[in-house]
Amino acid sequence: MTEHQLDVTVNGRAVTATVEPRLTLADFLRDRLRLTGTHLGCEHGVCGACTVLADGAAIRSCLVFAIQMQGAAVTTVEGLTPDGGGLSDVQEAFRAEHGLQCGFCTPGFVVSVTAFLDANPDPSAEQIRDGLSGNLCRCTGYQGIVRAVQAAAHARREARDA
Amino acid sequence: MPEPDVTEEARVTGGVGMVGAGGTAGRYVGARVQRLEDPRLLAGRGHYIDDHVVPGMLHAAFVRSPVARGSLARVDVSEAAAMPGVAAVFTMDDFRAVFKPTYSTIIGRDAVTPPLRPLADGDVRFAGDPVAIVVAQSRYLAEDAAEVVDLDLEPMPPVLDSATGLASEILVHPETGSNVAAQISALADDEQAFAAAAHVVTETVAQHRYVAVPMEGRGLVASWEPGRGELTIWAATQAPHEMRSYCARMLGLPEHRVRVVMGDVGGGFGQKMFVTREEMAVVLASYLLGAPVRWIEDRAENLLAGGHAREEQATISMATNRDGHLLGARVHHVENVGAYSVPGTGSVGGGVAAFFPGPYRLPTLSFTNQAVYTNTCGRCAYRGPWLFETVAREQMMDIVARAIGMDPLALRRANVIREEDLPYTSATGVPYARISPAKTLEQAAELIGYDSFRREQQAARARGRYLGVGLSLYVEPIQTRGPLGSEGAILRIDPTGEVTLIMGTASHGQSLETTMAQVVADVLGCEPGSIVFIQGDTAVAPWGPGTGGSKSAVIAAGAAQLVAEQMRDKLLRVAGHVLEVSVRDLELSGGGAVVRGDPEARLSLGQLAEAAYLNPAALPAGLEPGLLVSARSVAPPLVLANACHACTVEVDVHTGRVEILRYVVSEDCGPMINPMVVEGQIAGGVAQGIGGVLYEHMVYDGDGNPLTTTFMDYLLPTAGEIPDVEYGHVVTPADTPGGFKGVGEGGAIGSPPAVINAIADALAPLGARITGTPLGPAQVLAAVAAAEAAAAS
Amino acid sequence: MKPAPFEYHAPQTLEEALTLLAEFGDEAKVLAGGQSLVPVLALRLSRFEHLVDLNRITALRYVGAADGVTRIGAMTTQAAIASSPDVRTRVRLLADATARIGHFQIRNRGTIGGSVCHADPAAEYPAVAVTLDAELDLASVRGTRTVGATEFFTGPLMTVAEPDEVVTEIRFGPVVSGWHAQGSAIVEMARRHGDFALAGAACAVEVDPAGRVRSLRLGLFGVASVPVRARAAERAAHGAVAADLDPVAVGRAAVADVSFAADVHADAGYRERVAAHLAGQAVRQALAEARSAGPAAAAGGAAGPGGAV
Repeated sequence: MTEHQLDVTVNGRAVTATVEPRLTLADFLRDRLRLTGTHLGCEHGVCGACTVLADGAAIRSCLVFAIQMQGAAVTTVEGLTPDGGGLSDVQEAFRAEHGLQCGFCTPGFVVSVTAFLDANPDPSAEQIRDGLSGNLCRCTGYQGIVRAVQAAAHARREARDA
Repeated sequence: MPEPDVTEEARVTGGVGMVGAGGTAGRYVGARVQRLEDPRLLAGRGHYIDDHVVPGMLHAAFVRSPVARGSLARVDVSEAAAMPGVAAVFTMDDFRAVFKPTYSTIIGRDAVTPPLRPLADGDVRFAGDPVAIVVAQSRYLAEDAAEVVDLDLEPMPPVLDSATGLASEILVHPETGSNVAAQISALADDEQAFAAAAHVVTETVAQHRYVAVPMEGRGLVASWEPGRGELTIWAATQAPHEMRSYCARMLGLPEHRVRVVMGDVGGGFGQKMFVTREEMAVVLASYLLGAPVRWIEDRAENLLAGGHAREEQATISMATNRDGHLLGARVHHVENVGAYSVPGTGSVGGGVAAFFPGPYRLPTLSFTNQAVYTNTCGRCAYRGPWLFETVAREQMMDIVARAIGMDPLALRRANVIREEDLPYTSATGVPYARISPAKTLEQAAELIGYDSFRREQQAARARGRYLGVGLSLYVEPIQTRGPLGSEGAILRIDPTGEVTLIMGTASHGQSLETTMAQVVADVLGCEPGSIVFIQGDTAVAPWGPGTGGSKSAVIAAGAAQLVAEQMRDKLLRVAGHVLEVSVRDLELSGGGAVVRGDPEARLSLGQLAEAAYLNPAALPAGLEPGLLVSARSVAPPLVLANACHACTVEVDVHTGRVEILRYVVSEDCGPMINPMVVEGQIAGGVAQGIGGVLYEHMVYDGDGNPLTTTFMDYLLPTAGEIPDVEYGHVVTPADTPGGFKGVGEGGAIGSPPAVINAIADALAPLGARITGTPLGPAQVLAAVAAAEAAAAS
Repeated sequence: MKPAPFEYHAPQTLEEALTLLAEFGDEAKVLAGGQSLVPVLALRLSRFEHLVDLNRITALRYVGAADGVTRIGAMTTQAAIASSPDVRTRVRLLADATARIGHFQIRNRGTIGGSVCHADPAAEYPAVAVTLDAELDLASVRGTRTVGATEFFTGPLMTVAEPDEVVTEIRFGPVVSGWHAQGSAIVEMARRHGDFALAGAACAVEVDPAGRVRSLRLGLFGVASVPVRARAAERAAHGAVAADLDPVAVGRAAVADVSFAADVHADAGYRERVAAHLAGQAVRQALAEARSAGPAAAAGGAAGPGGAV
């Protein structure tokens, strides 16, 4: 099958590659770019472990072919992590509230929650649970995750009001 | 030994994590210490098996049976083997000469098992049965080739459920001569008790098939290097030493020529505890090719063939006197263990029998069991594999209560084992000590507001709304028998003073990297974050039975405690030697040794290490140079934890939808190393119980084809379906260092009956009969409809 | 779970896309949001020699309104529809339905054209299209034709679209006497947040100044092989005094002639019972909204208070 040239920006860096059309964005990020923070939990778009940002919008990278990202800007969990070893505010909130155990679903949650809070700065408890319903976790029972979103939203509100 | 007093009751609802908030300065055990694992996992820098690259590794995909049962005359791999990028396609014929069936170290060489074969051999025994393994340059290419492997398959009628398995002439495993995988007959002399009983209530309680679903499936890279005679396996495993010894025996290799390395593992819940057939096939493929072979299980495979669980039922009779005191119980338990179950036959009859009496004064128990092979995916261990004892017993308590006109809480109060009853030996010979079921029952009832809920429930009924409350009370055995009773630890301080803890554990979400560091930090007087934790590499880690079975806080913390105390003693001797003071005047704190009352007179760990390593001749006789200690814990043969779950629901009788209003757990796992971790483990188990009852159902059609092999049909609960979990803690220490007990499985054990009982309680005024699961909307509505029809006639 | 190989095409214009589809026939499949198609490819339930990706055709992404008709380009994402003020004010039922589709990550890629072409009988967009008698334009190299929503869906995952046809636009309206603003509701029974419905009902109602039902549109979804209009129930309600309508009776009438489907989640009996209940609820909520909105307003009037659950 014909391969295509792909030019895409990933975490701020321009990348050029030759790809088979059927190579998913998730596999491209993981195997070609070695950005292994994006995980495969189901490969059919339900679990959300593969969530990345494409031009700022949260999408399932297992449901998009790499070639479809021609000209786009993709951000993975690595791109949301500050350089130099720190954590973003969302990541800090997850740590403070014990929002992870095995960590496999965690990057997908971090990306989804980052996008969710950017679009919904003041979410109600119900909106939070609804916004989280596109990511599956099997370890935490969601307790710490819900608290993490509440804590991050609260911290952002405080920073805004300050 | 006299029973210890319960030392404290603490009411905690999941709070904000804090560092070092344990009380006295430097005390980490008992505090909500934030996890050391988190920074790398949050940044996407964990190292899971799918992230691991071995140069030259090939990728595997399996060809699987499309039918539940059939004869397999021929597997034609010629077209597949010729596909681009394919290195090999192997069948059982290729493995026969090198595969040596073997046993699991953890369960022992005498355990009965189904026939052991990595791939199908002349016939297929469940839909998804692996028939061939394709090894290629990429998973994409391996799947392309797998599609063109030709199976000369003649479908045959399958046996799919226990009843058919028992009655049919069709044998799932002809070699075994019977579909009965295991059976138990333990009849008590209870004729008189039943004859004299004021009430005898009989019901059949059923539990459906649901499965573990870790977010990461199985996976490994196996690398046989013929030139070195070494096999290295990187794996998503819960038990690296088990995998090591199993694969060594399977290939006839000496154990120390096999190395298993686990990195970060994305959950397991029992599915990754024992070596499974696909894993055997991958190791064998690598052995034949002399090249690294990688297999990453995808979700469809994981649901299809990763190991199922929970499908069982029991007919139960309970006898009580006029006041509701239990006089005896008779249980006939039947389990569907599928085809290639693991470990052993997959039967949990022994555990169900032993713990059916639970936390009640049950004078006699007659227990019979049959575990039945069927042409479905075999069982694997799944969090609290024997939990049906609680699920069945707790449902029966409510069924009996309603039948004899008692409130379910009152019936439990009448029968629960109280502190003054301890020590108590159950009808099945289990010695109960150091447990607090009555206290947890009262705490859960208080937290859920049981009495005021009953009033609220009545008012709601008057308005046509159906609310219900469910209780679930249980005792949980922490698995410390035989090889499970000991964990090892090595503590090493390097010449610069850096501390490394090496253990044979396989933490995969249990936070051992943090909790073990808390234990060591308290003893050494340093900070948990300064300790590097190495686990899961059999080349360096002491032998361990793997992580699972709720025993980490017992055996792993025990080993960490022992080894830290030994290191402390050594450090104090070195310090005493250097500072020329008596060891009695020294203590460890602030990252070093200090003379009590003289803070200036101190040596840092670095200085102590220098003294220990770099001038050995100056050390006194009898003080070995260096700072390396090793120890093993030995657990008591039985440690028991206990808890009570309470849950309130509203049932919509128009749609069958169940909404959980509140969920409360009163847990006694002894003192807690890290309450944040304890609550997280409980919550995860509770979510799996809620998921199992309301959403998750592994379904086969009448031909044995699975219908729920994607997340579109096998429904996991999301944040929208799991309520806030509220916790109460009761503390009854175990007879172990620190008094810790386990908590990993409890949440999953106690939750299903709490939810089931709440639904049954909500629908009781309609006369609806609830006798098990699943309880999705269709089943709930069917129960309502049946009650309406019965009322109308 | 990797897809079989295919050739990939990303035309920039509709004409290019239609030419490619004409050339490849049933060896080609249109790729829109991919949220339904890619899982099918990953599971190898279907495969195609060619995928024609429509995502570069910006001319197919729009929401416009003129002369009481709301026109939506087929490649408009569900997220864009959810945030469109035109949709919220003119086709409120569609906006409410969008909130129930999957999760926000799905809606960022999923499109209205993809959803209607996928034709899952439990999906929200086909149900709203059928309920509101939407029109769909299908284009091919042979020209463009218009098909009504009810004729468009022919069975589970089946439509009248030929392999070389592309849905280019879906139209709602024209709005007569401002009936869009009268009252609407969508209610569904899904097992979890965002799941496909086990049963659902969509309702739009217009009530005249005398309090009589001028029109009742009631669609059931998740229950049969296609979304179905409850025509008998609609006819019975026409002209009735809105305040006298018994939603339970309407719900029962709505399910009377439907052939209910069974699957691993629910049998036919469940679907019938729940559909009747939900239909009644949808009618009740739509009527309540219509009554509180007051007399019929002119076309383009403001939406009434939210009534959907």
